[in-house]
Amino acid sequence: MSTLLELENVRAGYGQTRVLHGVSMSIADGDVVALLGANGAGKTTTLRAITGGVRWDGSITFGGRSLNGASTEAIVRMGIAHVPEGRGILTELTVEENLRLGAYLRRDGDAVAKDYDRVFEYFPILRERKKLSASTLSGGEQQMLALARALLMRPRLLLLDEPSLGLAPLVVRAIFDIIRTVNQSDHVAVLLVEQNARIALELSSSAYVLEVGRVAVAGDSTKLQNEESVRRSYLGY
Amino acid sequence: MSRLAKWPPRYWLVVLVVLVFFGLPTQVTSFQSLEWAEVLIFAIVILGLNLLVGYNGQLSLGHGAFMAIGAYTTAILVHRYNVNYLATIPIAGLLTGLVGFFLGIPALRLSPLYLALATFALAVITPSLIKRPVGLTQGTDGIEILPQQPPDWASSAFTSVTGGPPMSSDQWLYYVVFFIAVILFWIAWNIVRRRPGRAFMAIRDGEVAAAAFGVNIAGYKTLAFGLSAFYAGVAGSLYALATGFVHPDEFPVSLSLGLLVGAVIGGLGSIPGPLLGGIFTFWLPILSGQFVGGQSWIPDQVAAVFKNAGPAVTYGALLILIMIFAPNGVVGLILSAYARLRSRLRGAGERTTGQLPPDPQTV
Amino acid sequence: MTEFAQQVISGLASGGIYASLALALVLIYNAMGLVNFAQGEMAMLATFLAYTLIGRGMSYWIALPITIVVAFAGGLVIQRVIIRPVERAPVLTLVIVTLGLATLVNGLAGFLYGYIPRDFPSPFSVQTVDILGAAASYRDLGVIGVSAVVLVLIYLLLQRTTLGLAMRAAAHHPEASRLLGVRVSWMLALGWGLASAAGAVSGIMVAPILLLEPNMMQSVIIYAFAAAVLGGIESPLGAVIGGLIVGVTVNLAGAYVPGVGGDLQLAVAFLIIIAVLVVRPNGLLGRRAARRA
Repeated sequence: MSTLLELENVRAGYGQTRVLHGVSMSIADGDVVALLGANGAGKTTTLRAITGGVRWDGSITFGGRSLNGASTEAIVRMGIAHVPEGRGILTELTVEENLRLGAYLRRDGDAVAKDYDRVFEYFPILRERKKLSASTLSGGEQQMLALARALLMRPRLLLLDEPSLGLAPLVVRAIFDIIRTVNQSDHVAVLLVEQNARIALELSSSAYVLEVGRVAVAGDSTKLQNEESVRRSYLGY
Repeated sequence: MSRLAKWPPRYWLVVLVVLVFFGLPTQVTSFQSLEWAEVLIFAIVILGLNLLVGYNGQLSLGHGAFMAIGAYTTAILVHRYNVNYLATIPIAGLLTGLVGFFLGIPALRLSPLYLALATFALAVITPSLIKRPVGLTQGTDGIEILPQQPPDWASSAFTSVTGGPPMSSDQWLYYVVFFIAVILFWIAWNIVRRRPGRAFMAIRDGEVAAAAFGVNIAGYKTLAFGLSAFYAGVAGSLYALATGFVHPDEFPVSLSLGLLVGAVIGGLGSIPGPLLGGIFTFWLPILSGQFVGGQSWIPDQVAAVFKNAGPAVTYGALLILIMIFAPNGVVGLILSAYARLRSRLRGAGERTTGQLPPDPQTV
Repeated sequence: MTEFAQQVISGLASGGIYASLALALVLIYNAMGLVNFAQGEMAMLATFLAYTLIGRGMSYWIALPITIVVAFAGGLVIQRVIIRPVERAPVLTLVIVTLGLATLVNGLAGFLYGYIPRDFPSPFSVQTVDILGAAASYRDLGVIGVSAVVLVLIYLLLQRTTLGLAMRAAAHHPEASRLLGVRVSWMLALGWGLASAAGAVSGIMVAPILLLEPNMMQSVIIYAFAAAVLGGIESPLGAVIGGLIVGVTVNLAGAYVPGVGGDLQLAVAFLIIIAVLVVRPNGLLGRRAARRA
């Protein structure tokens, strides 16, 4: 498997405040990687750096191409879908319009139609609420919409920022099952930022734990799950 | 005495400016005193406008109308009812303030663009509104106000300093304007420093958050309108006394526009800014008109058109350039230059949050 | 009675013009979140361009599309040069910048063309047609018709095409749209080009009636604003109804209320604005939610 995304010694911050102090990681094609850590460790900032939402130093390459200086739109067009914290739902538009924007970059009409069907299968509530304003959806439904929209982009890499935040356990299970399915069937790589370390480690093959802007621990997910000292100090369980 | 020693440099600058303006009529001609009185009058309006736009974030293109209300109140009271001219000043201010307060109520419902449109509409209809009630305003004839002679105590004090001719009515008026301006600036400075000012700014910077903190949005926004109109009304009243003549055409849209440009140039959200704004708003049309009129190579028709269109082009370009490059106006530029100078003199301090990254861990 | 009907009909005719501009306000500004105080002035300048072209001997039907294209390009350039630097600033800054633009454009037109009103040709004849015993001119009806067509096209573009969807998304949710691959800057510029082109059309339509001069659009914008407020700022249908009501009311006030002459009709419009905002802020058809205009 080839390396899809590579971060080398990435430093990033907001104005005068430095948040990332040299983060390095890599994700292979079709891999699911978890990015863990406490609040403020820099997980969201890492995702933002990848899609150009924050200024960064160092090196980030995607599919061999450097992302240095690229605009968010250009990076997304390379095949990265980013579901940000807060979900990024366009609340002025309807559910259907949100989904259509997911397919905005696609040119393969027939495949898009099939993907719509698939997405409605995963999330039937979206078909029900198609014509309604996206602002009428509940938190869990908005998360589904955000994920459905990202899936419609048919990305090579999916960045998910805290998909479980504020959701009931059953809903979280359902969403994570869908993520697993999509990863296996479509060969989509996933970089998963989560505070719920346990469920993230179950889904992922490897994980990085951030602490105050640096990678404190990294390794195979199963090993990290079983390593009690790591679990206690870094993952809180 | 030790408290004086603790004053920051800018306080001393204020004292200096006040002294300069206080002594001004002794150094310039009587007519020039009148001109500078008008500068201070504009500064007062712009100060009020700034409270509304700069500190509270509500745009008004209608302050020429408020000035007109103040001006005509004084003119009518003095001319028709022989009210003492000094007494008309607070009356004009309060009346205009009330009108502004009540106009602030529908203004609550308008977003910035639409509020600009609505106040613009007010400015456009002002000359027509003044012309209508001919019985009251004498329509297009206008109202004349006789100059006010200085009281004896003032005149003797003045001549004892200058050793020259007796104090003219213009010079006396200058001092009336000057003292009122000092008081109004002092009041504005206090408002801005205390709770009302903080409430204004909280609303400007984020209404939703301000409401969540319990700020009475509607109350403070209408208060800002009323206060702003009060200042404009006082200024309008003084304007009538200074020029001695009020007429509907003295209050066109370009006046409201010029006031806003002055506020922007001086610096929105600052107290000293309006003084610079007043200087600008008063002198630009005069100087540019003189400049163009004085150039022999510019034909008369062009010069005439420039009189009409020139200020507009200048105002428009200035508004755009300042909001893009120096949104806090001249005062903002001075403050940031000063801050940079200070930091360079003191040496750059700790830039980051101060938190040291932890030692790298090997796993 | 027929005189009254005549006043009502001509009120409806001018009301139709206000309605079309109000509709443009509602459609363009709300759908695209476009803040532009200079909309009217830009339309006026475009009309002056058409006037110059026609004056040089160009046919009306060639000058018209050229002007629209130039207006489109002009709107685009203005967005990139003047608006983009202040994109992330508070709305107030944006309004002040576009106010500056309006003043600049108005002054420029005054400087280039002077303030004497000029005739502007209309493709519609001034002949009148009989409606319910009163006369309405083909010209007035033509203005309404053309405006209606333009607005329907804009509506279809914004609501039924992917491009329109991207423009609306970029306007209301720039950051989230970027993450979907939408080139937000270009969408915003496109929106400005579109609004500018639509403005050019309305200016060219209205000029024969109002006579072309730098302050031509000022009153119309105020009437259109009153119409939009009356109808409910968010409602397209409200804008149309509001426009008609404003047109009739202002006309009747001018004809039947003593003292209300030509210049005070604008004051009537202002009164309507204030009254609506105080008594029924959401207008006739506005949304129930207490959102600000």
